[in-house]
Amino acid sequence: MPSIVTAEQLSKTFQVKVRDPGLRGALRALFRPRYRDVHAVRDVTFRIDPGEIVAFLGPNGAGKTTTLKMLAGLLYPTGGRVEVAGFNPWTGGPPFKRRIALVLGNRQQLVWDLPPEETFLLNRAIYDIAEGDYRERLAELVTLLELGDVLQKPVRQLSLGERMKCELVASLLHRPPLLFLDEPTLGLDVTAQDAIRRFLIEYRDRHGATVLLTSHYMQDVTALASRVLMINRGRLLYDGALEALVARIARTKRIELVLGAGGGDGNRVTAEALAAFGAVKSFRFPNAVLEVPREDAPTTSARLLAAFSVADLSIEDPPIEEVIRLAFARGVEEEE
Amino acid sequence: MIRRYAALIRNAWLVDLQYRASIVLWLLWGVTEPAIALGIWWAIAGDGQIAGYARADFARYFFAVMLINQLTIAWDSWYLDRWIRDGELNFRLARPLHPAHEAVAENIAYKARTASVILVVWLLVAVAWPAVRLPFAPGRWAITAVAVLLAAAMRFFISFTTGLLAFWTTRATAIMELHAGVSLFLAGRIAPLALLPPAVAGVAGALWFRSMLAFPVDLLTGAVQGTDAIVRGLVWQIVWLAVWVGAYRLAWVRGLRRYGAVGG
Repeated sequence: MPSIVTAEQLSKTFQVKVRDPGLRGALRALFRPRYRDVHAVRDVTFRIDPGEIVAFLGPNGAGKTTTLKMLAGLLYPTGGRVEVAGFNPWTGGPPFKRRIALVLGNRQQLVWDLPPEETFLLNRAIYDIAEGDYRERLAELVTLLELGDVLQKPVRQLSLGERMKCELVASLLHRPPLLFLDEPTLGLDVTAQDAIRRFLIEYRDRHGATVLLTSHYMQDVTALASRVLMINRGRLLYDGALEALVARIARTKRIELVLGAGGGDGNRVTAEALAAFGAVKSFRFPNAVLEVPREDAPTTSARLLAAFSVADLSIEDPPIEEVIRLAFARGVEEEE
Repeated sequence: MIRRYAALIRNAWLVDLQYRASIVLWLLWGVTEPAIALGIWWAIAGDGQIAGYARADFARYFFAVMLINQLTIAWDSWYLDRWIRDGELNFRLARPLHPAHEAVAENIAYKARTASVILVVWLLVAVAWPAVRLPFAPGRWAITAVAVLLAAAMRFFISFTTGLLAFWTTRATAIMELHAGVSLFLAGRIAPLALLPPAVAGVAGALWFRSMLAFPVDLLTGAVQGTDAIVRGLVWQIVWLAVWVGAYRLAWVRGLRRYGAVGG
């Protein structure tokens, strides 16, 4: 299957005016402006297949949104090559734009003073959607997103979650095969975040759409993305499955224990006793968390079960946030 | 494309209906300036004439300014400045419709609304006050309509292009304010160009200012006489329109390449 997105050596450099503080700095900037190059994206190469859900991971200013905007044809790349849905996004024009949806979490297309349905009708006209298709798709999206009674309320009276859902409806009426979502769950409460995640998976399954998203919420990534692209300071650090990243970065596993009422021979379990098996991350009887090298997790578990009375034992990866933090702190490449 | 425009204009009107008070305020703003100018010239003219303008001529002139200024004015630089600086341009660029179409539709919606009110007011005033009546001349009105269309198109491109300067500077609207200030004199908003010192009127004629307002106004009131003068005025309008369309193309292509698309 041919890739739906191809980026080769994609780069974007912004020129930023440098200004020293104070009046003198302002005057100097006026007469002799100095510029500094900011490499927002450097030599990023990847391919995405149809139907994939891929997440861009990275701290603020890493280059995630810049990459997304180049793929959507909003930004002109300084270097490299992009092909999206068979088009060069920069020159693809309307035929290209009919094949994508761009949803920006912080900038919305809904007309603020009117009910969302007016924006939907506007998009029906802009995208030349036939009446029958429009009704059918609107009904489907409204059902999936549980939007029944908000269509007639002015946008300014909607909650943030309702607005984001309506934003998705407006962006998907023309049924694009490719979705670019920039922080789609930004600022939403847990319920609304969850609703949007479930919707995106359902939508992908029904229509085979490809989804590229950026998010700060790890749950978005773990729930949605089969693959992550990790970007930091404009460079692609990692491209692959999240599980593989965790396995590579996290050299340890966590063994979570709930100890039984009495120790093996009636001895009281102490932190010192546990420390013989691995690093004790926390201990408050009857709960204990140990960290052990990945490969030792099964044997250590067996030894723990033999040594103590154990009510419950589970082996976990470290929290994903911690893995990601470690990955950015150390740089993934060092781990190879 | 007609369906798209119909939808855009419909939305613009629906939004306006939410802000009825502001429509009235904008309308008052559009009427106040020529009304004040008329009051001053009315007092100065007395029973005599200034450069061939008697009181009734001033009255017709400023009623025409009122109407034609509303029909040709363009606020697009303010919209564009905001779109570019706040990132509202992003979703507009992702749609299969050039953002200029939305701006044109907004203009049509705004002008249809305000100008029709002014036209009705003018007709009502004319019933009571013969001075502001125009001679019945459908041919001249038809040519004026063409000149108004050209002027509206030109002022749209001036405003849109100036707004595009927001790609480079945060002072785009200040440049537009300056242009508006200069056009107060050079476009004939404060006085007929015939009353300006010849040097100033010469500048207005050599640049685009006369084409954007004074010419269609003079055409409507009958101050422009003779086929030769009418054709010359229309040709200048077309020339300046072409210049501004060229400037717009340049700014749009260059600006988009430079666009920082606000946000991380």
